[in-house]
Formats: sequence, structure tokens, C-alpha cells
Amino acid sequence: MKLTPKKDGTELTIQLSGELNTLTAPELSSLLDKELGGVKNLILDFAECDYVSSAGLRVLLATFKQMKVAKGGMELTNVGENFKDVLQNTGLDAVFGVF
Amino acid sequence: MAEESVLRIPARLEGMDLILSFVSFLLDSHGCSPQARTQLRMAVEELYVNVTLYAYPSGDGWAEIRGCVEDGIATFKLIDGGTPFNPLEKDDPDIMLSGEERGIGGLGIFMVKTMVDEVEYEYRDGCNQLTLRKQL
Repeated sequence: MKLTPKKDGTELTIQLSGELNTLTAPELSSLLDKELGGVKNLILDFAECDYVSSAGLRVLLATFKQMKVAKGGMELTNVGENFKDVLQNTGLDAVFGVF
Repeated sequence: MAEESVLRIPARLEGMDLILSFVSFLLDSHGCSPQARTQLRMAVEELYVNVTLYAYPSGDGWAEIRGCVEDGIATFKLIDGGTPFNPLEKDDPDIMLSGEERGIGGLGIFMVKTMVDEVEYEYRDGCNQLTLRKQL
């Protein structure tokens, strides 16, 4: 999986490319650990990632909770059809900001 | 009767790509839609990861995947020789809870149930056997 972070002040955008699965979710987790300090708005761009398994959802939920505590926001953008189905089936479309 | 393909590997997390390549290879050779392919790969990922984490608490073991496509229906069977365990008996998570109220885990098996048409468990011949079926 390729992860491309871009920081603009307190906004962090990460472009994900590939599959967010059990083997790759730790990569996203460690990038977030490194980059999330001071971030108020997190944007995760899924334009090139339409495969998100439960391991990926776990990282997203943990990050969502972390952002809430820090009084920040988290958005998922360019969500594809498969990932949208997963979010709807798990009720997470109502939790995350999905665009 | 469609020919069944079989792959048996050590039940380790590193083997996940191999298992998923097996799934893709079989589905691609039957002209499967990208959506059904992704859903079946994800369902198999969830079940295989469970095997690697929980089937053999005291050491190494094996996992086997069998697959075939017949009359437009894909069937995959995941087998291990570990501790008898039916993951399908686990309670479904409450998906109506807010983000703050939710635990971060427990979605994997629930997702499997939503992504395939049928999923069954049986303990047979000393093995856990999980069967997935999906119309392509």
C-alpha cells in the first residue's frame, strides 16, 4: 500500500493507494501515530483504495475516536462503491463524514 | 461437477497474500465482476486471519483453501486442523451505536455475513470447515 501524506497547517490529507487490509493497516496506523500531532482536520482520500477490510476499519475507528478527543474532525473522501457498501453494512457511514 | 482447486499452506499471517491470490486467480478465470471479487477476497481475508490468530494457540499449524465456480456460483472452503471454534456464533455488533460508543473491533465476521450469500461452519474429520458461497 502506498500512503502519501500532505500537511497544510493543522490539516492533514493522506492519499491511500492499494488495499487497506490486515497486512497494510499497521502501515496507516504508524503513519498516523507519526503525523497526527497538532492536526485538527484529517482527510483520508480513498480515490485509489476501494478495498478496506475490518483491520482497516479498526484503524479508522481508533483514529476517529482520537480526533474526537482532540476536538478535531475526520473525513473520508472519494469513497468507491465497494468501500461505500462496507461502510453502509457496518453502519459506519453514519459515524464518519463520507464524501 | 466443476474441478476444485486446493491450496494448503502454514497458517501464518504472511500467507494471506497467497490465499487472496488463489481467490483472485480462480475468480478471474471465470470472468467475475470486480465487486464480487473484492467481496469474496475480503470475506476470505477475515476468515483466514481468524485462523492464523486463533486456531493454533500452542504452535504452528496449517490452513487449506478449496475453491470452485459452478453454474455462476463461487464456493470457497477454508479448513484448519486447530481448536474447534465456530466464529459464526459470535454475536453481531450493534451497528447503530455512535462512533464514541463503539468498540473498535468485532466487525470482521459480521462483514463476512454481509458480503456473501451463504456462510456455514462445520467441524468434521477433526477440522474446522467454513464454507462461503456467492452468486457471481
